[in-house]
Amino acid sequence: MSRKFLETESPAWVTEGLITEAQRARLLARYPPEAVQAVGLLPLLGSILVGLSALSVVAANWPSLPTTVRLGLLLGSLLAAYAGGEYFLRRGNRRLGHGLVGLGLVMFGVSIILTSQLYQLVGYDVSGLLAWVVVGVLLSYLYNSTPLTLLPIVIGAAVQTYCTQALGLFSYATIGLVALGSGYRWWRRPDTLVASVLAVGLLWQAALWVVLSHSKITWFFIPAMLAYAAGDWHPAGQGTDRPAARALQGPPLVAAYLFALGLALFGETDQYAGLLRPPVLAYLGALAAVFALSVAGKRRQGRLASLPDWLLLLPGFYLPGGLPLAIATLVVLYAHAGSVLARAHRSGDAEQLTLGTVLFVVATMVAYFKLTWAFLDKSLFFLIGGVLLLSLSWYLRRRNASRLAAGAAAVTGAGSPVPAPPAPTSPPAPLA
Amino acid sequence: MPTRHTPSHRLLLRLLVAAQVLYVLGVAGAGYATTAYGQHIALATTPVDLHGLQYESFVRLHYIAAEAPLTAWRGASPPQRRQAVYVLLATGPDSLATVAGVYDRELKPAARQAVLRGWVTDVYPRTLGLRYNLERYYVPGDSPLRLGKTSPAVRVQVSIAPWGQARIESVRLLRR
Repeated sequence: MSRKFLETESPAWVTEGLITEAQRARLLARYPPEAVQAVGLLPLLGSILVGLSALSVVAANWPSLPTTVRLGLLLGSLLAAYAGGEYFLRRGNRRLGHGLVGLGLVMFGVSIILTSQLYQLVGYDVSGLLAWVVVGVLLSYLYNSTPLTLLPIVIGAAVQTYCTQALGLFSYATIGLVALGSGYRWWRRPDTLVASVLAVGLLWQAALWVVLSHSKITWFFIPAMLAYAAGDWHPAGQGTDRPAARALQGPPLVAAYLFALGLALFGETDQYAGLLRPPVLAYLGALAAVFALSVAGKRRQGRLASLPDWLLLLPGFYLPGGLPLAIATLVVLYAHAGSVLARAHRSGDAEQLTLGTVLFVVATMVAYFKLTWAFLDKSLFFLIGGVLLLSLSWYLRRRNASRLAAGAAAVTGAGSPVPAPPAPTSPPAPLA
Repeated sequence: MPTRHTPSHRLLLRLLVAAQVLYVLGVAGAGYATTAYGQHIALATTPVDLHGLQYESFVRLHYIAAEAPLTAWRGASPPQRRQAVYVLLATGPDSLATVAGVYDRELKPAARQAVLRGWVTDVYPRTLGLRYNLERYYVPGDSPLRLGKTSPAVRVQVSIAPWGQARIESVRLLRR
């Protein structure tokens, strides 16, 4: 709550008798205005400008500097960044300290790249840059800092990109370091932001592997769902409220959903479906293994309710292309949207309810587009589609509103003194 | 997980920073050693476009050896784009190296031969496009290329280390 909000709202609280004038004064005194912070920014801005000027002088004269001076400059700034980081951490300025340590890590990578460039040296494997990832992962264990945990994940993705694009080979060491090193760091100290970035970073590397090895793109979902299964096994926060684990599962699910959507839209042409069909036994075996792993994790953590997530992974692309495939995918999309809505109704989670509604509307749009575009007059197509969507959104909104209101009423009716989030109430109404 | 400001934490950080400095020095050492212990070959280029030097600190070199006839391919399967290859170079009487064969596996060069690693960029009906990662030349401040106005052809002195790294040693203007 910001002080501005407190200032504008609190007089009304006093008139309504919620708090006394004395309590209002104490509340205001508890959150002093933050005018001092803006002044505190000035030295930081000043030093950034001075730093930029030094950087531009060096950059402009870089090619004509002697080799030893260049090497000395690189190593000097690397050491200075780490020493400065430790200095500020010891003085208690955590943010600046961690920032400087991160700068030191970036300087290490820059030093490796610029030193190879200094000698016009070409390496033929990733070992030169792998050291960067190793140091990044080790540093993230030394400090309790989110940015320093994110850095090796981003560096790993960048190194893998360079490796696959410039050297034409996939570095299993890099993805292993990020998955195990940064993954274990997250496992010990779960955090939603780290989880999302970790999942996106790993998916990016998996996608690079698929492109480089000319594999069928469906193989992408084996590593992606492995990341998802790791979220299932994570022990933090039993029950449905596990934001850190759900954040890790978000990116794989989004990828799987987009894939299913693409299949529903373009799956009719056998040419596209043909691009997706890996050898049946190998793919289904691998997928079943990951599925079993995920189910075991869900059972252990008591989260079997999220099992319908796996609907998106049904390998419908083995069906003959054409209408059967499109229809089957649509049924899956509807089933998935329905499962999300049902779960949201059961838990009374407003965000999940919105998500389920959006998924339901999207599935309806795709179905409508697929089934009527070919033979309906175009103006009629848009008219009916628009009316369909409008009435659907009106109906779902009304349902959700009444559902949430019922949940809130149940809580206040029970005589709860604090307004808690709506608790799980009656069993869900049959849906979709 | 170690807490901050303990002696062991500080020791670990110092070791880590020292390892980083040593590593960068190691990269520099590899640069020296490649020249000192490496095999030296010369590669000719097509005329170099110097206009980019006004904006960037490097020029792009197009090697004559970046194009090889498809008959020079010595692989079991047909070449693919982005494939890593080993290019066997033969040094001629004018000491310039020419492509003698493109292999998909490592091989030992004979006398007056060298192996430079590279990648296939394109497969044309009759020729192969190759890339050596030596195409970008960061021009030092005192290089004659910085004074040139026209587009000269150059001769690039490359050294190849026994452990596989390669570097551009120097670039000389070709006298015509």
